[in-house]
Amino acid sequence: MTVRDALPAPLPTSTPGTIARRVAHLPFAVSLATLWLALMVVIALGADFLLPYSITAFDLKARLAPPVLFGGAIAHPLGTDELGRDVFSRLIMSIRMSLLIAFFGTLIAATLGTALGILAAHFRRYVETVILMAIDFQASMPFMIIALSVLAFFGNTLPLFIGLMGFHSWERYARITRGLTLAANEQGYAAAVRQLGAGPGRIYGLHILPNIASTLIVSMTLTFPEIILLESGLSFLGLGVQPPLTSLGNMVGYGREYITRAPWIMLAPATVIVLTTLSISLLGDWLRDKLDPTLR
Amino acid sequence: MTLLEATDLRRHYKVRAGRGPFGAKATLRAVDGVSLKIEAGRTLGLVGESGCGKSTTGKLVLGLIAATAGTVRYAGNDMPPTGSAAWRALRPRMQMVYQDPLGALDRRLPVGVQIMEPLAIHGQASPAERRERAAEVMTAVGLQRHQFDRYPHELSGGQRQRVVLARALMTEPDLLVCDEPISALDVSIQAQVVNLLLDLQDRLGIAYLFISHDLRVVRQVSHEVAVMYLGRIVEQGEAESLFAQPTHPYTRALVSAIPVLGPRRERLLLQGDPPNPVDVPSGCAFHTRCPFAVATCRAEAPVLQPTADGRQVACHRADEPALQVAA
Amino acid sequence: MLLFAASRLLRAALTILFVMTFAFVVLRLSGDPALLIMSVDAPPEAIKAFRQAWGLDQPIWDQYLSYIAHAFTGDFGKSMRDGRPAMDLVMERVPATLAITLPALALKIGLGIPAGIYAALHRNSFADRLTMAVSVAGFTMPSFVLALLLVLVFAVNLGWLPASGADSPSHAILPIITLGAAGAAIMARFTRSAMLEVLGQPYIRAASAKGVEWRRVISHHALPNAAIPTVTIIGFMIGSLVAGAVVVESVFAWPGVGRLLVSAVANRDLAVVQAILMVIAAWMVMANFTVDIAYGWLDPRVRGAAAGH
Repeated sequence: MTVRDALPAPLPTSTPGTIARRVAHLPFAVSLATLWLALMVVIALGADFLLPYSITAFDLKARLAPPVLFGGAIAHPLGTDELGRDVFSRLIMSIRMSLLIAFFGTLIAATLGTALGILAAHFRRYVETVILMAIDFQASMPFMIIALSVLAFFGNTLPLFIGLMGFHSWERYARITRGLTLAANEQGYAAAVRQLGAGPGRIYGLHILPNIASTLIVSMTLTFPEIILLESGLSFLGLGVQPPLTSLGNMVGYGREYITRAPWIMLAPATVIVLTTLSISLLGDWLRDKLDPTLR
Repeated sequence: MTLLEATDLRRHYKVRAGRGPFGAKATLRAVDGVSLKIEAGRTLGLVGESGCGKSTTGKLVLGLIAATAGTVRYAGNDMPPTGSAAWRALRPRMQMVYQDPLGALDRRLPVGVQIMEPLAIHGQASPAERRERAAEVMTAVGLQRHQFDRYPHELSGGQRQRVVLARALMTEPDLLVCDEPISALDVSIQAQVVNLLLDLQDRLGIAYLFISHDLRVVRQVSHEVAVMYLGRIVEQGEAESLFAQPTHPYTRALVSAIPVLGPRRERLLLQGDPPNPVDVPSGCAFHTRCPFAVATCRAEAPVLQPTADGRQVACHRADEPALQVAA
Repeated sequence: MLLFAASRLLRAALTILFVMTFAFVVLRLSGDPALLIMSVDAPPEAIKAFRQAWGLDQPIWDQYLSYIAHAFTGDFGKSMRDGRPAMDLVMERVPATLAITLPALALKIGLGIPAGIYAALHRNSFADRLTMAVSVAGFTMPSFVLALLLVLVFAVNLGWLPASGADSPSHAILPIITLGAAGAAIMARFTRSAMLEVLGQPYIRAASAKGVEWRRVISHHALPNAAIPTVTIIGFMIGSLVAGAVVVESVFAWPGVGRLLVSAVANRDLAVVQAILMVIAAWMVMANFTVDIAYGWLDPRVRGAAAGH
């Protein structure tokens, strides 16, 4: 077997020409959301080059300086905090951290859930029963509480925290994957390919996964903002990302102390959180309508 | 030469009959003691109402699902366990054609890639040879070369079924199990596909297990016919004589239901629906709907017995000449 | 119906057991509880005494059973911070949490459901679009951001309400609004889509085609059917009342269970965390159970479907 001759060709509906036409037909809000997300990705990837100041650099002469538009100096476009650290620089690093956590968290959740869903559908019987019980359990407890208990028991390090975020909503992928895989196995293309003598690797890797990918991607647009909100909530409470690292939630939590004297410290990251989650939700809604009318 | 021989195949499912988690468990006997032989290059037609176990029999014969009991021998050897390496290695020899070709195809892949897939799976031939062979087979089933890069949804129903057929033919199988291969197609296309199947058999010497509820088509394609009722074969024999002189009351009812031109015939109408397969009637499963049922039929299950004209019939009253006249 | 309730009750009990086991396993996985709870440089005799007192020298299976037995009586040990029984600490915080979450729930239902119904009945009107826009904000705005914005406006700029604490009833207003607003938005969205779904059904069109007065179609046919999915979301909201209050209680320094949980996690006060975990789990399970029963009552089909097949 070679992979080349079975490589999925691009969908007939997404040749470059039609993509260009679709972009032209993007709803205005979706275009804005895409632009914003592109900006966030650029900031996250290029943080090292964009950073005007080190995030721990003190500028004691300019403590609690207001942003440019509120009478501050251009040196600190979003003002400074109590220690004179540049809010703009901290914001850039926070965006990188929050996106990083949400990205890997979503990836882990999707991978874990999809793998468990396939396992359940492949082995049926006891494997499936155990996985279904785990799904029920996960769905019946608010994840915030599970996350808090795990943090209490294990303490907090960044890898552990990212891994923990990866447990958020894995059950969504497990459910979807199991359902779609069962349907495909019972009748249809997967049964047909199995009947041709294909092994599980080919059936799941080359046929089922590509077929359910669009549904999974749409689900990822739900998980991503949820993880951003969860991470920032925990970090806000001081239980997520730990100093000296900083995330959007950390910044809001820190800025809360100065809400009367320097509200910009808290408003800048809060705005980024809201705009980012809003953008992904808009994009996800739009994608869902385009890719997968069957979902919800 | 006998290509495939199935002996006393059974497939039972545990189902929950009562209500609630503590409801009574029951057994659904989807296939309950079916034996059949498929000769190389010949067609065995399998007919019966929906739910009688024809499709399950087709899957059992190919080893797609494990039998509860019974054996399948292919070319003199036992069928390896479902899903094992030996079982997979045997797939090129026997293939399946489905009722719903759109469902049997991956809608994300061009049909050409899917036609080549059996060779890719079994590591046969180089990519260039696969492509060449696919083009050949596509021509053989009446597809055009330029349709190689089409996606399933861009083809018509008949063309899709040709794609499924082409894929099945790539490894030059000896046996095709055709599960209602034409019932999802437009009537105008049905004849084309049937003719294609007949033509392929002539040229390639493939054996078919042709599963259908459409007796006219079965009559047209089959050399032998087996009639199933509630998981068992009730009558089996050479196609022409079975259709000309059906013996089992159930077969007679089915045959008399075929619409024909010409003067009105006496028709044997079936009363009611087939019984629930979870709760098969005692004795002869057909006695609840049989106009000729007697006390023995209720008490004792008939077994397949050879008749004078070389057929096999499972009916207590098959030998009574009076019944033959009554039909 | 009785069988249905019994099977749900069994499931509820299983979930509780599952949560207990989860807590036990996670606790044991996280390291030697003796070393975690005692300080690292505690004398070996003290650690040994601690292990004996907690039965940590017993086989793990015995430990599990005695843990479960204790957990069922609400005994999770003593808080390492102030030495009082963990469960007592938790229970005395429950009224404060209910004092803000119950009014918030009333706000969600009282505001969200009428808004959703109105939006569905006036589809694509300005009110509909406004409701949907607000509800998107409700989905995407974290509660702590909303909370701080409210503080900024009503406490800092206008000075109408206190920013934090629990000294007077007016202290409860901002937490209630924060909790209620996002929930009302979600509620409105669900109610709207449930209504729209029902309004598109053939029986609604049939009823209005038969000449049944539209008002009557809505009140007798559409609303009861739209209520079914809405009950699910209400049940979910009731279930996550306590969990949802974690962040808000912390922002407003409201002395409820949520804030206790945050400080217990920060201090790694494991006994208190476990007690809260169990209280929340029991609460969730009870809410789910009630919803299941309400469901069976509202929708006769569910009874058969859940019990049979």
